[in-house]
This record gives sequence, C-alpha cells and structure tokens, in this order.
Amino acid sequence: MNLKRKNPNPDPSSPDSDESTQLSSPFPDEVLERVLSLLNSRKDRNSVSLVCKDWYDAERWSRTHVFIGNCYSVSPEILTRRFPNIRSVTLKGKPRFSDFDLVPPKWGACVHSWLLVFATKYHFLEALRLKRMTVSDESLKFLALSFPNFKALSLLSCDGFSTDGLASITTHCKNLTELDIQENDIDDKSGKWLSCFPENFMSLEVLNFANLNSDVNFEALERLVSWCKSLKVLKVNENITLEQLQRLLVLAPHLREVGTGSLLQELTPRQHSELKSAFSNCKNLNILSGFTEVTSIFLPVLYPACTNLTFLNLSYAVLQSDELSNLLIHCPLLQRLWVLDSVEDEGLEAVGSNCPLLEELRVFPASDPHEDEIVHGVTEIGFLAVSYGCKKLHYVLYFCRRMTNAAVTTIVQNCPDFTHFRLCIMNPRQPDYQTGEPMDEAFGAVVKTCTKLRRLAVSGLLTDLTFEYIGKYAKNLETLSVAFAGSSDWGMECVLKGCPKLRKLEIRDCPFGNAALLSSFRKYESMRSLWMSGCKVTMNGCRLLAQEMPRLNVEVIKECGNDDCQADKLYVYRSVAGPRKDAPPFVLTL
Amino acid sequence: MGIKSEQHSSASSIDSSSDPSAAGASSSSTDLRLGLSISSSYYNDLFPTPTTTTRVQPLSWPPIRSILRSAHLDKALDHKQASLFIKIYMEGIPIGRKLNLFAQDGYDSLIATIAHMFPTTVLCPGADRVHSDKYHVLTYEDKEGDWMMVGDVPWEMFLNNVKRLKITRADSFDRAMAFLKLINGGPLPLGTNS
Repeated sequence: MNLKRKNPNPDPSSPDSDESTQLSSPFPDEVLERVLSLLNSRKDRNSVSLVCKDWYDAERWSRTHVFIGNCYSVSPEILTRRFPNIRSVTLKGKPRFSDFDLVPPKWGACVHSWLLVFATKYHFLEALRLKRMTVSDESLKFLALSFPNFKALSLLSCDGFSTDGLASITTHCKNLTELDIQENDIDDKSGKWLSCFPENFMSLEVLNFANLNSDVNFEALERLVSWCKSLKVLKVNENITLEQLQRLLVLAPHLREVGTGSLLQELTPRQHSELKSAFSNCKNLNILSGFTEVTSIFLPVLYPACTNLTFLNLSYAVLQSDELSNLLIHCPLLQRLWVLDSVEDEGLEAVGSNCPLLEELRVFPASDPHEDEIVHGVTEIGFLAVSYGCKKLHYVLYFCRRMTNAAVTTIVQNCPDFTHFRLCIMNPRQPDYQTGEPMDEAFGAVVKTCTKLRRLAVSGLLTDLTFEYIGKYAKNLETLSVAFAGSSDWGMECVLKGCPKLRKLEIRDCPFGNAALLSSFRKYESMRSLWMSGCKVTMNGCRLLAQEMPRLNVEVIKECGNDDCQADKLYVYRSVAGPRKDAPPFVLTL
Repeated sequence: MGIKSEQHSSASSIDSSSDPSAAGASSSSTDLRLGLSISSSYYNDLFPTPTTTTRVQPLSWPPIRSILRSAHLDKALDHKQASLFIKIYMEGIPIGRKLNLFAQDGYDSLIATIAHMFPTTVLCPGADRVHSDKYHVLTYEDKEGDWMMVGDVPWEMFLNNVKRLKITRADSFDRAMAFLKLINGGPLPLGTNS
C-alpha cells in the first residue's frame, strides 16, 4: 500500500526557463521513485536526499527501512513526518559503555513512546530491531497487538522485559518470521513463551533463544521446527541436550545457522554416529555457535559439517589449542572466527595455517584476567601468526596480556586492509613488554598503513603521540574508543581536529579536560556522540559547551558522593528533537 | 560510583590491594601467607615471582560484556575434567611452566615429569641434604594460600588443594623453615621432620 504524494508539480526554479522543458528532472517523479526504491544503502539514500527538493521527496516516499543510531537524536513525530512508508525500524539507545556497567540503570532509551507513534503512523510495520533499548513487557504486548503484519523482532543488549513479554509476541504475531533474543538483561521466568506459538504455525525463519536459561517444552520446539519449513536459523539454549539437538537437525537439515545447546553429555557410539550423520546432512550449514561446556569427544562429530562453514562462534567454548587446531583443519572456507584465549598462541597459529580466507577474528578472555594465572591467554605471537596466514584479515578484536610495537607494525604490514582494529591489552597502561616503551608506534603504524580504517580501539601505555598519529593519518576513522591513555588535552585535540569522518568518540579514564572538550566544539555537530567518563572535565566546562552549542544535548550523569565540580560522566550528542523530556534525576541536561 | 583510575606499581614489585573502590578485584596472589605473620617481602626474596604480577584492576574493565564472562565460563572451566593445568616455577628462573596434574599418576610420576622440565633433582622431604645448595625441594600453594611440602597428603587430596607449585633451593628453604620455627615456636604447617 504505497501512499502517493499529492503534488507532483515540477520545480518552478528550474534553470531552464523555456516552457518546453518544464520538468526539472529528465524523467517523471514516479520513475525517480521507482529507481530510488532500489537503493538500499542508507548512506546512498542520505546523499540522494541532498541533491534537490525533488530527490529529497522521492527518496522519503520510497524509503522502507530506517536506521536510527541514537534514539534521542530524533523524535518519533519527526521521523514519521519525513518517512511515511517505513516497514522496518532499527533503533539504538544507550551509549555503548553501558555494556560495561558505566551507565546507571533506568537511564532511559525506552521504546514505548516510539511504539505509540508507530501504531498510528506505521500500521504496517513489519520489523523492529532494537539495541541497548529499554523494553517492557507492556511494550511487547502493545507491539504484538498493534501491528497485524509484524514479522521480525530482534532484541540485542536490551533490558526491562521478561519472558512474559516474549509470550505476547509468540501468541499474537501470526506472521512472525524472526525472533532473535540476544544477550539481554531479561527476567527469565519460564520457557512457556515457546509453547505459545499457535498450532500449525509455519512462518518462522529465524529463532534464537540461546541466551535464555529456562527450559522450553521440547515437544513444542520439535513441532515448531517440523512445521516451519523455511527455518534457516535455529539457536537453542543450553538446556537442549545433544540427543534433542540431533532430532531437531534431522527435522531441519536445510538450516543455515545452528546454535548448539549444552554439549556435556556422554554419548553412546550409536548416538555419536547419529549426531555426526545429522550434522553432515546439513548441507547448507554456514554458521555454527553455542558450544557451551564442549568436550573434546564431541568436536569430531562436527567435522563433516564444517566444510562450508563461514562463521564459527566459539566464544563460549573453553578449547585448548589442539582441539581448535583439529577442528580448523576441517574449516577451509572460514571467514569469521570468534574464540576464547584458552586456545593460546598455538591455537592461533593453527588459525593462520588453516584459514586462508579469514576476514574477521575475535579473541575473548576466557577467565577473569586479574584472578587466575592458570590461563595464559594470547600474546603478540598468536596475532602475528594469524597475520602471516590470513591475508584477507580486516576485522580484529583482540584481548591479550602483552603486546609489542614491533609485532603490531609487522601485523599491519601483513594485513594493510584493516577496517576495524580493536586491540585490548588487558592490563591498563601496560607498555611494550620487550622495550618498556609506550605503544604509540604500534597505533601509529596502524593508522599510517591501514588507510581504510573505520574503527579503532587503543590500549596499553599511550602518550599524546598516539593521538597525534590518529589525527594526522586516520582520515577514514569513524569510531574511536580510548581508555587509560594520553598525557594531556593535546591528545584529544589532535583527534577532534584531525579526523574528518569521526562519528563516535568514547573515552574513559584519560587526562583530558575542558581545554580538550572545548577545543573543537563545532565538531560535535558532525558526530553522532561523545562519551567521556573518569576524565578531567568539569561542570563549568560542560556548561560552556552547552551554551556555545544549543543544538547539542550536553548531559552529565551525576552520581552521589562525588565532587560537585567534576563532570564524572559526560554524554554529548546532536539532536533535532531538543533536550530529553524523559531524563531521570541523575541525568542533568545542561 | 565515579570510576577512579588505578595507580599501578611497576612490574616486579608486590601489590597489596590498595583502592577500596576496586571491590571486585581479588587481592594479589603473590601474597604468601603461612597463617603466620611473616613479612611477605622476606618470603618473596626466597620465592621470586614472575615479572607479570597480578594487578588491581579498575571497575568495568576489561571491556567485555558480562554475559560473556565468568559465570558461564567458570562452569565450563570446571567441566574441563580432562586437565588440571597449574603453573610451576623454579627459584632463579623467571619464566614458569605449565603442568597438567591430571596427566600424572601420583607423586612419583610428578617428580619424574618435573625432572624432565627443570634442571634439577627434586628431593622428597626427610632425605639427606648434604650439599643443600645444589638440591631443590618441591612445595605447593594450597587453596588457603599456605605453602606446603609436596608429598604430605594423599594424591587425591593434593589434587583438590593445589593451586601452584614451586621448586625452591633446599638450603634457602631450610633457612626459611628455621626462621619460622624461631619466630613461631609452634608446629609448622608442614608434616616434615625438618
């Protein structure tokens, strides 16, 4: 149901005053709209909308998906006024550091006010993807009842709801194709929500409940899987046993993405071979995850299924290096790998040897790094080994216990195409362990060599020199994360003045103060947001910023017991919606 | 709750827990307690710790989502019954090794394995120590943080309690034990007749 514009008149200010060429664009608006409707990239669409008024109008009528990176940057009223035909919305709420408990609870980012407006303006809404938003059971029920065509719900890192809310969705959304519940702070009361799917429900394509802990009714799950012939993604939770998983795989051999349950189970030889056979019959399997409580005995079951794997998520699997090595021999097409550092450098050497097509590597710490000495973790050796073997590597997230400037320099020479380089040396302010020097040259090498770099996270002992390098060379940088680094305001000033494409800057525990904050205050209008916590900015500095830039929202999170002059946590973002109307008492809008 | 940046001591010094706001961080595992009040610096001269000591970590660090963290993985680590890897150091050698205790059958097997890993002859307690500067003894830190002589308790109990191993020179060990006896007078937490 496409709502047409009411006035398709040509632009009267056309440069051709000749009456025979009254149309400002060479083809009718309907054609323009049709052409533009084929555009999917939001960056392209944003560019298109800036060409002229006709194109702006054509674009806004043809847009069906909208992405809002900061829910407070715009209001639902403004959104629905500009884009009348939206079917799919992605909304992100809290600042990213809320993942690490740096944002107090009840900060905001509630989805409900959005849903109220969408219920009237986007009656045919089909998809809602939320990240770091607060969602209540009431909101989920409202969602389930207000949108007859609703198909896809994805909740990532959200909070405020319980499994009762999920039950509303599964009960009422007759056309549901996707239910993706990931890493949320959810009140997991029971698995009954799964049993609320109606009889003969057939449309599900994506089901992810891996992070929910309550038991679901297995018969209900089995019935669901056997009826939903289009099911592509199934990620079960750890209460699903290996035997149950085998039964599900037999029912759905067409699955593309599988998340296993708990793998801690003694298998009889018959069960072992049945499971192996079930996995090898999944010819479309590209993505595997889960692997909680994996044992060595289980892994060979997977080998036949690994031939076409492109993404292997082992971030819950405590594997040793030989176990990983034996598994990777069977994964020649692997493009993305997430592992724990229990595999150590040797495990990463196996990655370098076996995965020539690897593009993305994430290595997470297996144990609390400041407690155990038992797990060695990974060092520069592992990272180097991967860089020698995986020339296509462009995305890395690496938690390690030590690093050297020389290693990083070699790594980026081997892999100059990095777009995302996130290095976390886990002891704050740790120098190059061989030379004792700061890690400035490492990140200097990264920004000089990797011209396509869009995202960077720095760590280790860093002086202002690192930030001079970033400002001078990182011309495509969009996101920068900094912690325990820098020597003075100059560092932050270099970044603000030097990185033209900077959109998100998040800083914690650095010696940057008011001078840095105020050095390029106009910059913040070209960015999505700035976060500074544990730095040296004061309330007065923040007030000055708010005064100079009235179109920015300058918010300080105030917590009790701290010096009134210090602005402990500062969050600055551009907005066309004005200051928040729903700010809790501890958020001061200046 | 303001997050205060931690001041970190240099690599080889001993950290005793400093900032009370680092409530989540464990106290330094280099703290050697015998249940007697002996200054840890004395003991650390005898038992040199590796260069990367545990440091008091700031809150909300490292930046990893709590859902990926310990709760899940501790359970997984517990279930890794195939191995019990512990660190073993030898006095005078800064880099330690890792040893899988589940792969050993008992104390004899343990001593033999260690003899392959380190350049020494490890003595069992009570043996003659004529040239005690050339010989070493094997001790372990138990769950309570006490250092005990290896071989005192049944093997299974040892496996349950051991946190890490240390090979120390017999004569420095003797000196340490003598000192403790002197200041304490009472029985040592070791079942030896040294």
